[in-house]
Amino acid sequence: MIEAHRISKTYARGVYALRDLTLRVNKGDFVFLTGPSGAGKSTLLRLLLRRDVPTEGQLIVGGRNLAELSPRQVQAYRRSLGFVFQDFKLLANKTVLENVALVPRVLGMPPAQQQRRTFQVLKWVGLQHRMNAYPLELSGGEQQRVAIARAIVNDPVIILADEPTGNLDPDLSLEIMNLFREVNARGTTVVVATHDRELIRRVGRRAVTLNHGEIVEVA
Amino acid sequence: MRALQYFFTEAAGSLWRARGAALLAIATIGVGLFVLGFFLLLNANAQRLVDRWSESAELSVFLDDDATSEQLKTIDAMIERSGLTAGREYVSKDQALERFRADFPDLAATAGASGRNPMPASFELRLRPGARESTGAVDGLVTSLAVLDGVADVRYDRQWLVRLNAIIRGARIAGIAVVALLGLAAAITASNVVRLGAAARRDEIEIMQLVGAPFAYVRGPFVAEGILQGGAGAIVAIIALAGVFHLFRLRFGTAAAAILSNAGLTFLSLPVLVVLLIGGMALGCLGGYVVARRVT
Repeated sequence: MIEAHRISKTYARGVYALRDLTLRVNKGDFVFLTGPSGAGKSTLLRLLLRRDVPTEGQLIVGGRNLAELSPRQVQAYRRSLGFVFQDFKLLANKTVLENVALVPRVLGMPPAQQQRRTFQVLKWVGLQHRMNAYPLELSGGEQQRVAIARAIVNDPVIILADEPTGNLDPDLSLEIMNLFREVNARGTTVVVATHDRELIRRVGRRAVTLNHGEIVEVA
Repeated sequence: MRALQYFFTEAAGSLWRARGAALLAIATIGVGLFVLGFFLLLNANAQRLVDRWSESAELSVFLDDDATSEQLKTIDAMIERSGLTAGREYVSKDQALERFRADFPDLAATAGASGRNPMPASFELRLRPGARESTGAVDGLVTSLAVLDGVADVRYDRQWLVRLNAIIRGARIAGIAVVALLGLAAAITASNVVRLGAAARRDEIEIMQLVGAPFAYVRGPFVAEGILQGGAGAIVAIIALAGVFHLFRLRFGTAAAAILSNAGLTFLSLPVLVVLLIGGMALGCLGGYVVARRVT
């Protein structure tokens, strides 16, 4: 599913964010990327989201070299992804329902199907009763559940999550991770970047530890 | 259809959120289009005036009071042979006096008061449209007619009509330059307002890009925003033009009708109004598209 072949990413003045990284994530895997701040976790997710391209090496997802995608192919590729961020990235002026429905809406799904899918995923994350609320009326955990609902509403093959529990307490963090586990159990590949080693231990999945842009441990 | 609905709903929402700036943009576009419309209005009515003057006697051949019928036939034959005229009319002394009295009622009593009609008889000629441009041929005819027996004078009105036409052409070019500048200003203002909207919707754009929304879906609301601003500006301009025209006609309508024949002043035709509306939308669309390309 995801194959990184000796990828490096350098920024200005030759600073390495990733260095000669090789990684394989199979379809249906659940993988944690961990390490201290600046280790390269978010950079790898940026490359996987195709917001950036490696300076060296090849990043291949689903058989496609991401660096070689045209702008339209990037759009098509992103439609196969779901993403979750630490800061939720919800639109404050739209309701929960509208935030989640934005994805099927912009992808041209018929209105009836949009409504059905949106309601289904909101029910799945347990927020169907808050669908007319605005994000700022929700707790952090609820906002992240909305973000997860938005990430899965399009039935993606891969979910990428960057510090999804960074703003949550341990119990809520585990609750969010359980949602990811359920998504993963249905065959979706999940890649979660987190520096929370305790959470990784409690969830008990494969963890790739990065430091200074290099893989230092796979456990 | 769903996409269009989405574009315009989002655009309307964005304009509402930045309504102060949007009103400014609409006013700027409105001013630009008002100037364009005003210029077109002036041009259309001035052109009608020139056409009317052109249709009336351009070349008058005034006759001696004692011109004989043989001399009149010779003059008439020369005019006919020239092939330069679209029509000619013989105006007798009595008809000339009547016209004078009608055109200058205040002086009607004095004209002919001595018992003698001071107005000369004349041939009034209308030139063919092509002949108006061929200065040499018309000048030759004027010279030839002037030396004929029975001709008192030849008055050729073409010179000042040519000058008037040149003035109108010059004004048209200057008007186009002003309108182009105002159009550019309007497009820039519209794009600045759309850019404000884009800044407010930065997060939404980012999310749309992350979920792989097609370019048309990301850019569409910005273009729609520009179209709405441009269309609203055009409607403002048309309403203002109609108001100014109405006031002007109330104040000067009678005088204008006397100069421009019974039809008087005319407002812009429906096709021109439609062009103004579409032009406004196109300006806004251009501004919106430029921003959409930059932010996505």
